[in-house]
Amino acid sequence: METAIKTSTIKDKLIFEFETSKLFLFGDTQLRDQAMESFYKQGIPDRKHEEYKYTPIALMLKGEFDFSTSKNCSDEQIEPLKFLKEAYNVIIENGIFVEGLSNLENLPKGVTICSLVNAATSNSALFEKHYAQYADIKTDPFIALNTAMTKDGVFIHIAKNVIIEKPIHVIHISTASKSTIIHPRNLIVVDENAQAKIIESFETVDSKAKTFSNAVTEIVVDKHAILDHYKIQDENELGYLMNTTQVIQKKQSVFSTHTFTVSGALVRNNLTLVLDDEHIESHLNGLYITAGNQVVDNHTVVDHRKPNCNSNELYKGIIDGKSTATFNGKIFVRKDAQKTNAFQSNKNILLSEDGTINTKPQLEIYADDVKCSHGTSTGKLDQEKIFYLQARGIGLTNAKKLLMHAFASEVVNTLKIEALRDYIEGKIAKTFE
Amino acid sequence: MNEVLEQKLSTEYKYGFVTDIDADNAPKGLNEDIIRFISAKKNEPEWMLDYRLTAFRHWITMEEPKWAHVSYQKPDFQDIIYYSAPKPKAVLNSLDEVDPELLKTFQKLGISILEQERLTGVENRIALDIIVDSVSVSTTYKKTLAEKGIIFCSFGEAIQEHPELVQKYMSSVIPYTDNFYAALNSAVFTDGTFCYVPKGVRCPMELSTYFRIEAAGTGQFERTLIIADEDSYVSYLEGCTAPMRDENQLHAAVVELVAHKNAQIKYSTVQNWYPGDKDGKGGIFNFVTKRGICLEENSKISWTQVETGSAITWKYPSVILKGDNSIGEFYSVALTNNYQQADTGTKMIHIGKNTKSTIISKGISAGYSNNSYRGLVRIGKGAENARNFSQCDSLLMTDQCGAHTFPYIEIKNNTAIVEHEATTSKIGEDQLFYCKQRGIDTEKAIGLIVNGYCKDVLSQLPMEFAVEAQKLLEVSLEGSVG
Repeated sequence: METAIKTSTIKDKLIFEFETSKLFLFGDTQLRDQAMESFYKQGIPDRKHEEYKYTPIALMLKGEFDFSTSKNCSDEQIEPLKFLKEAYNVIIENGIFVEGLSNLENLPKGVTICSLVNAATSNSALFEKHYAQYADIKTDPFIALNTAMTKDGVFIHIAKNVIIEKPIHVIHISTASKSTIIHPRNLIVVDENAQAKIIESFETVDSKAKTFSNAVTEIVVDKHAILDHYKIQDENELGYLMNTTQVIQKKQSVFSTHTFTVSGALVRNNLTLVLDDEHIESHLNGLYITAGNQVVDNHTVVDHRKPNCNSNELYKGIIDGKSTATFNGKIFVRKDAQKTNAFQSNKNILLSEDGTINTKPQLEIYADDVKCSHGTSTGKLDQEKIFYLQARGIGLTNAKKLLMHAFASEVVNTLKIEALRDYIEGKIAKTFE
Repeated sequence: MNEVLEQKLSTEYKYGFVTDIDADNAPKGLNEDIIRFISAKKNEPEWMLDYRLTAFRHWITMEEPKWAHVSYQKPDFQDIIYYSAPKPKAVLNSLDEVDPELLKTFQKLGISILEQERLTGVENRIALDIIVDSVSVSTTYKKTLAEKGIIFCSFGEAIQEHPELVQKYMSSVIPYTDNFYAALNSAVFTDGTFCYVPKGVRCPMELSTYFRIEAAGTGQFERTLIIADEDSYVSYLEGCTAPMRDENQLHAAVVELVAHKNAQIKYSTVQNWYPGDKDGKGGIFNFVTKRGICLEENSKISWTQVETGSAITWKYPSVILKGDNSIGEFYSVALTNNYQQADTGTKMIHIGKNTKSTIISKGISAGYSNNSYRGLVRIGKGAENARNFSQCDSLLMTDQCGAHTFPYIEIKNNTAIVEHEATTSKIGEDQLFYCKQRGIDTEKAIGLIVNGYCKDVLSQLPMEFAVEAQKLLEVSLEGSVG
């Protein structure tokens, strides 16, 4: 048996692991079976798969993997990651919610933060209403795989009319000693008229082996609700991250999402926003700074289903070393979605001779009374600007840094939490060293 | 406005007549025997037959591409006649010997070859090669061109008379392994146009090929090969029409352009194949592979296309910028109405240093149609200082149609500057109002606005074509604002 598993493909191994462990997993077994079947049918996408053309999945899944998850972080190791002093911190270690490390004291009334496993029983009505309703197992093999195999994650619920001032900071950490595949799963529900700020950060602590994290987050933004969502991806060179975020927005809601990718061996973001009612506002911002052999692939879909909605997307990238950055954005305007305003912009700076940029901004439009546009540009740092600064006594290195900061600031300035902005700026400054 | 719309949307396809020309057909279906039959009919040398058979054997192993944003009933490749030649096809010495029925066809098409002959000596004339179904029936002005050393003839003739040139260049830009339809074409192509412009010659007139599918149940598979040798210049135009039929006919052409040092090729297309009726029945499937290569430095290839016909268009005229300082251009207007579907765009592959490319694409969708731009800009690692500018605009005429943009941009050199812009909108009510206020009726106003919108592209066309293209746009579109 042992040898049979070793020679089989990663796909077979995943299926084998699923069959042996599924009885110990929480929730609906039938859903898990369906999801696994869907994963089996779709398979692991290769380079010929249009959506995964520029993401080397094979690289992600190379080598032997372990499926067990362990908890071994201490408070001292976690402390520096809690960079927001005023926040509710949630720790997810190797895909498992760790209550002992999180600080969730004095949560305001109407705010629930608990493990997903817990929510499935203690909050079953809400859980069943929303769980796995938006991230469709048929559309993507990794969503299917996550739905089949997830062990835990965080559940956040903001009740009707509740405005929570302090941000909620969800820290995903991987601490693998052996190569691991994990499937964290999060569900965020912001009810009618509620407001919240949620930050997800991805970090590695004391990791000696490769971690492939296949994370899925479903977000519901109900009527008139306002949600600010931030993602900071800062894993080390052993971190492989497949991060799917599926958002559904209801009437007159406002959702902003900001994705910052500063390190990690391979990061693939699948971000989908469904604008399911009228007068919705959505903002998507992203900044990726890559170096070395990093691969960063941002896929976004904005699906305008109803009239009178606005969406605005801005992704910027600075590419150095032998790294590859991909941006693939799609704006989808359905037949009834008249009076839609949708804008998309992707700008890149290619610093090195060996870097690669792939960009594919797409518009798919079936309504006529719309204003949609996209634009993309790629180039190196403007020589004239460098000259201008040099002529004023600023050295070449500093001049370049200054220009890169200015380039990144368009995205960084959209951050509303000051402490977070300082943290990101610090991170950016460090990558420019 | 709706009345105008109704009235105009029902505008019939003008070129949909059927001419009863006695045609010499091959039996339906495709196998090695048919390919041998075609090759024998055309009296081809052995290397040509070998090439066809290799391509055919490769084609059998291939699958139809499915990635395009179009949906259609897959053609049955065994239900197509792969060879149809208008009889009598003996070599003609003068136009008087041409089948009178055929001449009538030309008159209906508005191509007056006789007129042209009488006008010999007039400056701005056009040399014309006419291809009906799969066979070249007439090439004009051969003599004038021959004096300059320019070879302009049918592909079949070129195989017989200039085998060394054909062997050297054919399939050098588009190998038969390139894609499904290119492989099919390489196996069964029946005729086409061949053009060679020698060193230092500036072609004195516009060269033109006129394509028409006439026989029912046939597919048209022509091949065009244009070679511009060092320091030469050529401008080439093609036009296409087909009769109205309920069935879908397949057109799978291959066009290869080769530009040597300092050479320039300008290739313009006005494509008006039968688009199907207003319920989307019938029409041509236009699956074409067009590619040019700027082989050496300072060469330039420019594609201009006005696409108004065909039930389904699947076409990406591309340029490989291999030589340093070479330039690639792509100007396109694609208009779809009723149930037409178009997935068209370009590929600019930058390999050489200081290469430049420009892409201007204007899509117009009306009725229930879907119009997609799909383009690739690839900057290779060695393409120092490459420059690309792309602009893709879409205009939506009704709330039932779709306009899509799928650009692919791949950059591997940090000295490259690449820009892409796209917008989607409908005709501005205020623009219409402005025109109407000045006594221009809706119909004319739309024509005016659309022509203005397409001006960047239309101005690239040679004068005769520009006028025709403008009319074509008006006919295909007028009043179709919902």
